[in-house]
Amino acid sequence: MKRWLVLFLLLLQGVAWAHKPSDSYLTLRAAEGSNDISVRWDIALRDLDYVLQLDRDGNGDLSWGEVRQRADDITRLATSRLALTAAGKPCGLATTSPMQLDKHSDGTYAVLSLMAQCAAVASPVKASYSLFFDVDPSHRGLVQWIAPTAKGVAEAAQALIFSTESADQTLALQPPSAWQTFSQYVVEGVWHIWIGYDHILFLLALLLPAVVRREAGQWVPVPSLMAAVKDVVKVVTAFTLAHSITLSLAGLQIISLPSRLVESVIAASVIVAALNNLRGTVEGKRWLMAFGFGLIHGFGFASVLADLGLPQGALVLALVGFNVGVELGQLAIVAVFLPLAFWLRATRFYRVGLLFAGSIVVALLASWWLAQRLFDL
Amino acid sequence: MAASRYTFGMPSYPSFKVIFLPVLAAVAVCFGTPTSAAPFTPTSDSEVVERLPGRASDPAIRRVDSLRKQLAARPDDLALRVEIARRYFDLAMAQGDPRYVGYASAALAPLAKTNPDNADYAMARGLIQQFSHAFEPALASLAKASALNPTSAEPLLWRSAIYMVQARYKEAAAECTRATPLAEPLVGAGCSAYVQATSGQLDTAFEALTTAVKVAAQAGPELLLWQNTRLAEMAWRLQRFDAAESYFKTALRQGVTDQFLLGAYADFLIARQRPLEAIKLLTDWERSDILLLRLALAGRVAKDPRADDWAKQLRERFQAANQRGDRLHEQEAARFELDIEGNAVKALGLASKNYALQKEPRDAEILMRAALAARQPKDAQPAMDWLRNSGYQDPSFAQLAAQLVAAGATK
Repeated sequence: MKRWLVLFLLLLQGVAWAHKPSDSYLTLRAAEGSNDISVRWDIALRDLDYVLQLDRDGNGDLSWGEVRQRADDITRLATSRLALTAAGKPCGLATTSPMQLDKHSDGTYAVLSLMAQCAAVASPVKASYSLFFDVDPSHRGLVQWIAPTAKGVAEAAQALIFSTESADQTLALQPPSAWQTFSQYVVEGVWHIWIGYDHILFLLALLLPAVVRREAGQWVPVPSLMAAVKDVVKVVTAFTLAHSITLSLAGLQIISLPSRLVESVIAASVIVAALNNLRGTVEGKRWLMAFGFGLIHGFGFASVLADLGLPQGALVLALVGFNVGVELGQLAIVAVFLPLAFWLRATRFYRVGLLFAGSIVVALLASWWLAQRLFDL
Repeated sequence: MAASRYTFGMPSYPSFKVIFLPVLAAVAVCFGTPTSAAPFTPTSDSEVVERLPGRASDPAIRRVDSLRKQLAARPDDLALRVEIARRYFDLAMAQGDPRYVGYASAALAPLAKTNPDNADYAMARGLIQQFSHAFEPALASLAKASALNPTSAEPLLWRSAIYMVQARYKEAAAECTRATPLAEPLVGAGCSAYVQATSGQLDTAFEALTTAVKVAAQAGPELLLWQNTRLAEMAWRLQRFDAAESYFKTALRQGVTDQFLLGAYADFLIARQRPLEAIKLLTDWERSDILLLRLALAGRVAKDPRADDWAKQLRERFQAANQRGDRLHEQEAARFELDIEGNAVKALGLASKNYALQKEPRDAEILMRAALAARQPKDAQPAMDWLRNSGYQDPSFAQLAAQLVAAGATK
């Protein structure tokens, strides 16, 4: 009776929070371009003593010797209660420098310096923390997570609290900066025009006749590079303008067309452009064809972009980046094509081998694509 | 932080705000993180790097250490687990160290599966739940403990205390009535007087408790300490300052060290413009946060050279609590923001959040003071409603309410 009586009195009088509850402090720092995460871990000596009985002589005073001699046990306990996983593989934890001490507002803490070697930190790192949860469920792990940032971007720490209810958490990566988003989509744009053979072939089919001119039913070389450049610029600009318009409209989800129709028309556009080279019917107005079919090609780029996924926070930025990438990729093709074509323009190889036979091959290939896309072969 | 605090029925001192605010408004302090950045390596193995609390001197800690060792050999011993949990809980209460509540909780944890219907387990679990402000689960656990052990007054008294925190005075009184036949007479009388004094019958309660204490002169020192502290607070509210002083001194004479008595008496001294005596009373009590708050308050008024350091220590402790996401100290944090930092808006935010959970007079008081200081009288409405409905008697509360009404609150 006596004991609970005292307790009751204490209850009615309340409890001071004279002490801080048990916390450990972790700083996890990932560096850009490295798969290692450096770990600084501050753990209260008092908590360590509760589990590991550091106070060997039981006099209530922890000497540095008593703590230092147990450094391996302390490290083993700590590392067995922290698991970092990246790309599905556990990161190995290794000590990088001997244990030290640090004073916090509520006492002295052991400071462990570790390095977590991960398979990859490009994907989010999963952290599982359980230090002292078995002996003190009110214990918390207070984590400062410093995600990798690109050079020149100020690093920002993200605070996470690990508790018995939140023992497993993901260390989120820094949201990419605007410039990072933009450049990522530029690269994607370049890449997708290079691997998009139908776009390249359409463009090349339109550009092949740029270095020659039809005179009396015969292809003759253009006299100057200037004339060829002028023609190329007209075609490329028209194509660019057109597909930029539809890419943007589709990317912003203002218009959408069924992808089978789009893909089929793209294949058909390649056939038309190639066959035109045999007859030369729209000789001076190829830029018009580039524009008209360019509109459809834009929808084709948009479906690639949709597969990539657009960041909701930076939709327009990504869209512009992708577009710029497509243009840069296109310019690179033109930069290789034009000098070569201009150099070869007077040869029979160019007129017969490339312009005539090449166009037939392209038309045949595109016909096969068209059949595939139309009939879902 | 526990279900109830020592502050029941303690008069406020609104004059403080008037004294402090102009001074404090200028004290805007920036602070860094509590984690320092420079680890070190001691030069000698013999250097003492940490003192473990009570290890060498406190028999209670040594005893529970030895029980833990026994538990390692007998992990299935239910009675041993409950005893360890209760002892750790006692330590937490006596020393205000929340780690011990964690240890108690860990000791009990396996019983949730193996012995969920044990009365002692339910009781201990209820204690831990109320400590973390999980009041409804705590009430349920304590009800279960009472059902499993109907002759025990303990779960009923705790239930009464939780209802008091929630300002549910009818339920609190009913638990006192149920507990009275099961407990020492002074315990039952104290329980009821406590509820009455808070719910509109201060005079009756004061007289009844005075008589009960006289009759039970042979009661233990802890019980007498508690009842005399309550009488002191009631006398203070009745503006009988000499009587209050005398009850506080009787409580101190019981020879039991009790930081809550010290806090209540310090508040009285500060309110009576005797800050130097308050500082003297609290000498070497910086480690207790509630007493550190009083030291900082008294230090400011008395212009003690240590006042800034006390404020700094408090700031660090609140920051650390905030960093770990602790919400157990919002009332104290609100007082700190208002009276030490002079940040009325922040204080009001904390006081409002706190009042949603805890509704003791002291919780209402800080809400009213913060609302007044922040010129947001409407935000004090929950406390105003409580004051009207409970019939709580205290001239300083009435004065605060009048100021709030003048500023636009609804009576």
